Amino acid sequence: MHRVLSDKRTILLLVLPGLLIYTFAILFPIILSVYLGMTDWSGIGRPNFIGLENFKKIIFTDTTFWKSLRNAILLALAYVFVQHPIALAFAIFIDKVGGRAEKIFRTIFFIPCVIPVVVTSRMWVSLYDPQYGLINKILDFLHLGFLKQQWLGDTKTALISVIIICMWQGFGWALLIYYAGLKGIPEELYEAARIDGATGVKLYTKITVPLLQPVIKVNFTIAIIYALKQMETVYLTTNGGPGDASQFLANYLYIRAFNSYQYGYANAISVLFVIACLAVNVLFQKIFKSENYEF
Amino acid sequence: MSKKALKVVVSVMLIAALIVSVFGLVQGNLTASASTQKTVKIKFLSNLPDRTSNQGKLEQMLIDSYMKANPNVKIEVEALQDEPYKQKFKVYVATNQMPDIFMVWGQPSFFLPVMKAGYAAEIKLDQIKDYGFKTSSLKDFMYNGKLYGLPRNTDFMVLYYNKGLFNKYKVKVPTTFDELLNAAKVFRKNGIAPIAINGKDKWILAILYQELVVKESGDQKLIYDAISKKSVAKNQILLKAAKDLVNLVNVGGFQDAFVAADYGAANNLFAQEKAAMYYMGSWEVGMAANPNFSESFKKNVDATYFPIISGGKGKKTDILAWHGGGYAVSASSKVKNEAMKLLLYMMHPTRWAKIGWQQGLVVPGQNWEKFMTGKETVLQKKLTQIFSSATSVSGTVWQDAFTPNFKTEAETLCQMLVAKAITPEKFLAKIEELAKLEVK
Repeated sequence: MHRVLSDKRTILLLVLPGLLIYTFAILFPIILSVYLGMTDWSGIGRPNFIGLENFKKIIFTDTTFWKSLRNAILLALAYVFVQHPIALAFAIFIDKVGGRAEKIFRTIFFIPCVIPVVVTSRMWVSLYDPQYGLINKILDFLHLGFLKQQWLGDTKTALISVIIICMWQGFGWALLIYYAGLKGIPEELYEAARIDGATGVKLYTKITVPLLQPVIKVNFTIAIIYALKQMETVYLTTNGGPGDASQFLANYLYIRAFNSYQYGYANAISVLFVIACLAVNVLFQKIFKSENYEF
Repeated sequence: MSKKALKVVVSVMLIAALIVSVFGLVQGNLTASASTQKTVKIKFLSNLPDRTSNQGKLEQMLIDSYMKANPNVKIEVEALQDEPYKQKFKVYVATNQMPDIFMVWGQPSFFLPVMKAGYAAEIKLDQIKDYGFKTSSLKDFMYNGKLYGLPRNTDFMVLYYNKGLFNKYKVKVPTTFDELLNAAKVFRKNGIAPIAINGKDKWILAILYQELVVKESGDQKLIYDAISKKSVAKNQILLKAAKDLVNLVNVGGFQDAFVAADYGAANNLFAQEKAAMYYMGSWEVGMAANPNFSESFKKNVDATYFPIISGGKGKKTDILAWHGGGYAVSASSKVKNEAMKLLLYMMHPTRWAKIGWQQGLVVPGQNWEKFMTGKETVLQKKLTQIFSSATSVSGTVWQDAFTPNFKTEAETLCQMLVAKAITPEKFLAKIEELAKLEVK
């Protein structure tokens, strides 16, 4: 068996299907994208090669591209610094509650994740509606009418409104991953710490959070990738508007390709998009270098 | 009968049965293969997903009647909303799998690249000589003197209004811009949205801006000339129109968060009688006969000219009108002749124009006045009067008159203007910048 598996031809044969799929499904489209990014192709007729013109234009003059990237990064930060601490707190809460309540809460928090994005987006558009939306109605009821806004229709509030929807939609996933991580920490560690005199918050800061580090890292990585790729919710709520106030990279790319007939330009954006994703992830991995705890 | 004779009779009968059955089999096969050969599948891409009212109903009626008259023809309809339609269309173009017959907007920003690249089949002018199309209506469906599409409608902008709400709050139907601003204030005070508009879709805002330019200048060509000559930023009339638009926003002229409202949301607001006015095109003529709308709404819906501006040179009869939507046949279709037959069948004046008009579903692109019966809805009568009294018409609207990217960017700038993300001065400066990049 060992001889067979160490035979180079066998290795090649076993690797080949995966390699072919990778080449044709990932590598080839990326190379094609780089090439198309160097053309002025409208998607109709033949492409003209124009070198790095599109890239120069995007980097030096396209303010919407930079705004879209900034918005994606803001969403990533919102996931990491707002959604995740809350999700972790709720995961700990659910874990502690136990019994039937644990199952009920787990299901309730996960509901938004199983509803199609199109449904939740439409629901939020209704909630945000300034005339009949629940949010303004609640503010009125609480005598906080001065806080009422034209949520999705105002350049000042559109982005934050979209970010809130995205955080709400992804909350269940973040919570579920933390919850699974918590379930993997042996109860004995807490018991030992209690015997040593540790109590309350200290138990979480000294045991839970350090031991959850690999889980937190995975969760953060998923959140950042999801933020950079954000498209559906934006398209279904504001389509990047008003103007480009709530524009995100994937949606912007889509508009350039399908509304502006700038297929070449959109491909150039997609190449820069991939580079941005890789750069953010490399940066993130460096920041998040951690010791591995074993238990 | 002797044994021998019986054998002969049985043999003859068997042979006869064999011959008959073989003959029958061959005959059956021939018939089957003939009918297989004759079955024609036509793929039809439409932007009218509602098949029960307005243009969608008419389109489906004609498709059904064509299939009934031609049992060997099977028409597969794929109908999407405007924006998804544009994207799906683009995918078909990119993969070179065009549907046999497809809807097109007769605007340079949409149809010109399609005609230039040879995706649409030529329609000989002889074929439609009795169809009642005016040459002007075919202009944007032509390239290099050849015709590639047929318009289905006469599109023009009007201000729809709800008579009931105007009476209830004792507001005069506005004939001037100042009256429109005052009406807006009254309706807003009473919790009614003054004008319902679909600002999320952006194109309507650009059209409204052009409407204001025309009412300020009285010159239909001004906006096109300014863009072509790239001299936009310092044009005082264009600036005044931009300020008018912002002024209308400032008095609360549109529903709250109108920049986030799509077509359906704006239309529903007006149809549910929660908005007093609705700025939209003549293609909404079917509202007065739409079974989905309340009787109260249908009784109250009416239309008028967009108001003139005091001090402006435009007349109320200077209207924005064009022939936008239409159909084309794919040049690479395997059933090109059959698809062309279907197109000519549908657009025959006794069908699209006559049936569509008489059922109150469309304002056709062909002459419809000869089909008037006197039983028209209020909207039909009013729209006919508005269009027939027009003293000037715009043709393709400004944002559609140049490149697709000009359209996208100009519409976004209009949305930024009404969302007050940019000033009117900055708006014009940006449009000029855009014109320099996009208009050759």
